Amino acid sequence: MEMLLQIIASGLLLGGIYALLSVGLNLIFGVIKIVNLAHGDFLMMGMYATFFLFTLKDINPYVSVLIIFPAFVLVGVLIFRFIIKPLLGKAETEVNTIIATAGLGFVLQNLALMLWKSDFRAIETNLTGKSYEFAGIMLSAGRTWAFVICIAIALILYYILMKTKVGTHIRAVSQDTDAATLMGINVNRIYTLTFAAGIALVGAAGAIITPTFYVYPTVGLYFNTMAFIIVVLGGLGSFTGALIGGLLIGLVESFAGVMASSELAQVFSLLIFLFILFVKPEGIMGKGARV
Amino acid sequence: MKQNKSLLILAILTVALLAVYFLPLVIFAKHILILTLFYAFLGTGWNLMCGYAGRLSLGHAAFAAVGAYTSIFLFKEFNLTPWLGMFVGGGLAVLVMLLIAYPSFRFGLKGPYFTLASIAVAEIVHNLLIYGRDFTGGSLGLSLPYVPTSLAMFQFDGKELYYLVILAFWLLAVFLTIKMERTRYYLEAIREDEDAAAALGISVNKNLIAAACISAFLVAVGGTFYGQYFRYIDPYSIAGFSLSLNMALVVVIGGSGTIFGPTIGAFVLIPLTEILRMSLGSQYPGLHLFLYGILLVVCIIYLPKGIASLPGIIRARNDKKARQLDQGSEGVL
Repeated sequence: MEMLLQIIASGLLLGGIYALLSVGLNLIFGVIKIVNLAHGDFLMMGMYATFFLFTLKDINPYVSVLIIFPAFVLVGVLIFRFIIKPLLGKAETEVNTIIATAGLGFVLQNLALMLWKSDFRAIETNLTGKSYEFAGIMLSAGRTWAFVICIAIALILYYILMKTKVGTHIRAVSQDTDAATLMGINVNRIYTLTFAAGIALVGAAGAIITPTFYVYPTVGLYFNTMAFIIVVLGGLGSFTGALIGGLLIGLVESFAGVMASSELAQVFSLLIFLFILFVKPEGIMGKGARV
Repeated sequence: MKQNKSLLILAILTVALLAVYFLPLVIFAKHILILTLFYAFLGTGWNLMCGYAGRLSLGHAAFAAVGAYTSIFLFKEFNLTPWLGMFVGGGLAVLVMLLIAYPSFRFGLKGPYFTLASIAVAEIVHNLLIYGRDFTGGSLGLSLPYVPTSLAMFQFDGKELYYLVILAFWLLAVFLTIKMERTRYYLEAIREDEDAAAALGISVNKNLIAAACISAFLVAVGGTFYGQYFRYIDPYSIAGFSLSLNMALVVVIGGSGTIFGPTIGAFVLIPLTEILRMSLGSQYPGLHLFLYGILLVVCIIYLPKGIASLPGIIRARNDKKARQLDQGSEGVL
């Protein structure tokens, strides 16, 4: 029984981290309708930034979010302006944005390889190796904090999207670009904002997971597939869906990892993913209207 | 493009590439040529489904892996010549493709959803190859038992014969593409408007599945060639995301949905990456792929339809200029 609870608890914590990773992707995918294959590589950049802020300037990873978020907003705006925008609104947009972001991923991965070599790096904070005990269950301190922050970020985002004017504009654009334009919404501005926010969110996610994961140039590839699975599983643009998708995949991996092996765990997640794609492509929480 | 014109171009290209065989080239140049033709072949196979029908697959490495693992496994365990193992692998790849293609097209998976499904399939194959250690050697992969040059066993000591083999593969694939004229038009119609195509009496699913199966078969054959040429396969190189992506890049940069686009793309991208790798790779690891990535992004932004669309763009520009000149002279009169 205790074993079972332990598996569930670590599955949920892992799921929370997965959900956090996919929030930015979800936003970009849901509003601009493009697949950002470089998503995981921005995560990697966020992790490196956190690593260096900690080792060189002694800035706590959770505090470094305050530096990384605005910096990545800037990066997102520039990338949208010079790479994504020229590709939008054409017949080949779908294919070409995928290829262009894949190219961007190459650039980021190899930039990291050139600058920081392929070594695995990790930081040691006051949370490293610590865990909290709760009713006989051990919870990794780093992951618990990541989970709490993830929920907080999801709530803030939910509030912005549902209750503020900008959020209403974003939802309008995501539902019908033409109608939104006719209502006087500057679609280009909303796209820029969404893309920048998506990149900044994944950068922040990188900062939050750095205390519990190794950093290396291709770390993004591992998380990339996971993030896509969760976004589709939960339903495009649905935040509650992404949260549920993340927790579900976390649980599946945790259980399959204990009972079989880590490779089979991934195979299980992928099979669930394919199944959902075939029978309910709008995702578990998707109901026609999105966000 | 008219069929006869395409066949003529193919004949000229083949003669030219055959002539290259007799040139006294350094080993590195031969290696680049073989790799280039290898990617041109894979790209031509990929293009059949993904280019003409507009379903972007980023998981075709799965089929290359099925081909390579099957032929090497059969050779190792049963001493079956890879020439036959290649067909077994191709058949298995078609089976795997049917397993995915049928539900994908049946449930109308399109756009990014199809791409994500294809990535998932390749990841599944990749993970299963690592998991099935007893048969596949797990992460360590399989190496091909050495046999001195033997045509019957598809193993050669020099590079020359591999060059001829891949040239023949490429020739057959492009020839097949040219001959599938009717299917190509059907697929293009499906890509542009599926409902309209169906209304005109084109069997959408049948054509898509046929193209998908041929595409999987060709890529699996490419996988066997890879195994025989490099004599070693592992899940990261043959079932990894980078092989899938490279296949797609060659086609998209060259011109997707055109007969010679994949070949053009391969002849531009592969020598470039290999030369960059040779000259920069050892001093600055990563620099060559960094430059490669930048080139890709720039190419996609300025030539969204690939290099094969260049003549059309230039012609259109000249026409426009001519028209402006005409109008100008009319104005004077």
